[in-house]
Amino acid sequence: MALPKKLVKKIDLIPQKTGVARREQMLEYIKENGTYLPKSLLHAELDRGMLDFVKEDLKTVVDGKVVPTIDIIITLQNWSLFTETWKFQDLDKNASPPFITTVRQPEVKPGTNPSVKYNIPDRREFFYARVPTWDGTRKGLDIYKIPQPVPVDITYNVKIMCKRMRELNQFNKIVLQKFASRQAYRVINGHYIPIILNNISDESTMEMDKQKYYLQNYEFIMLGFLVDEEEFEVSPGITRSFLMIEAQNKTKARRVKKLPSSPKSFPLSYGVGDSETSTTITVPYSVDFLVDKNVNVDSYSVYINGDYVGDDVEIIQLNLNDVLLLEFTKKTAGQPASISGSATLQ
Amino acid sequence: MSQKKVPITRLSKFFGQEDFALDISMGEEWLHGDMNFTLVLYRVDAQNTKTDDVYGEVVSDGIKFFPPVEFKGYVRIDAPSNERVNNSGVEYEFPGNLSVSVYKKQLEELNIDISYGDYIGYYESESRVRYYMVVDDGRVTSDNKHTYGGYKPFYRTILATYVPESEFRGL
Repeated sequence: MALPKKLVKKIDLIPQKTGVARREQMLEYIKENGTYLPKSLLHAELDRGMLDFVKEDLKTVVDGKVVPTIDIIITLQNWSLFTETWKFQDLDKNASPPFITTVRQPEVKPGTNPSVKYNIPDRREFFYARVPTWDGTRKGLDIYKIPQPVPVDITYNVKIMCKRMRELNQFNKIVLQKFASRQAYRVINGHYIPIILNNISDESTMEMDKQKYYLQNYEFIMLGFLVDEEEFEVSPGITRSFLMIEAQNKTKARRVKKLPSSPKSFPLSYGVGDSETSTTITVPYSVDFLVDKNVNVDSYSVYINGDYVGDDVEIIQLNLNDVLLLEFTKKTAGQPASISGSATLQ
Repeated sequence: MSQKKVPITRLSKFFGQEDFALDISMGEEWLHGDMNFTLVLYRVDAQNTKTDDVYGEVVSDGIKFFPPVEFKGYVRIDAPSNERVNNSGVEYEFPGNLSVSVYKKQLEELNIDISYGDYIGYYESESRVRYYMVVDDGRVTSDNKHTYGGYKPFYRTILATYVPESEFRGL
């Protein structure tokens, strides 16, 4: 009985995303359970995706039994090995019909998918994502770049071998319904890969004196692309050092505290009057007296505690309570004379 | 067809019904007594076999057959052929066809007929039986080979091809 049109048969509990949100969702699929980069998509992944497509999307049930699918790509080598282990074989180790096999044409041709067919030459790397990094000290960004995917066309021949027309009909119905819009999609490693139905042909054996069976070939072309993770490039972007600056929040500037003058060094001067030519001083500190200036002095002799030290000595080492005798030879007699400089405490 | 019987008088100067019967009995002695190739005939019960309404194909495990009958015949089995089936990548070792020559007299005695589509079981060993489906029931025996020197047909050659167990597995 037909259902009333307004009766909703299936209610989506999770609302379907559309537009930008849907695109972002698809991007998440690409990165799901992986790194920030898309997962690799090479020949083996595409083959595995096709096998899963045949097994799940073209699942055929006849008389309540699932028509078994050979879950490997039939190649030159492995058929005989596989026949040793499979489950639907007869006593002669032959596959027992009905069953479905998938054969890949060995050659993989340049792709014709228009969305990836026209690309930029020279395999340039293109920006894909900025990924924040943090090594405990520095915060930065890594720039992820990937090249454009390489489009490929892979031809698969999916063959059903059976002995009854009903089995053929069922499989044919499923395929044609699936490809009613010319192409079907398979999500492989998060990527939507279109598959188109190219041709259907019959290769049944009808000879009288042979075992008779139906064998029909469904030729599918997978409009795939190759994404090779070996070509991905991760390069460091901006890196920032984490600097901490401590500052007061007072608005009034603090007065600079004046320090006392350095007591360690001070100017020192010794001299004689108009009529004198020598002077004796008992030194009250231990200093190194550096003489760098004189007034009306032709030369002078230095005696410390009665011992002659030298003439015109530039650095006179004086100790506490030393008796310093300075004898001046004036340039102009009758005028005061003096030497001066700086004294540094020892 | 007329039920009237016409005596065969061909070759009557040196061969007759008695000679024919003698040779047949000698042949049976050799084939049934010495050779003793025993086969089992599973005649398909077309009335009770479950078939598809549209295509007439037998549904899975739907073949019904009359009680099996043992018979003797001269058996020849072709060599198996190892083939890759139509570029499918599927490698098959097809068992060879079975060819059985059987005396018409025996079929009459057993009151059986072998028809296209019937199954024949042949024990290759004590535990291994292989089933074949009749693809040529050898009903036409007008040729010189199947007549005794042109006298009368005396045997049929049945050609049968191997069937997998998914199609037929006997009792």
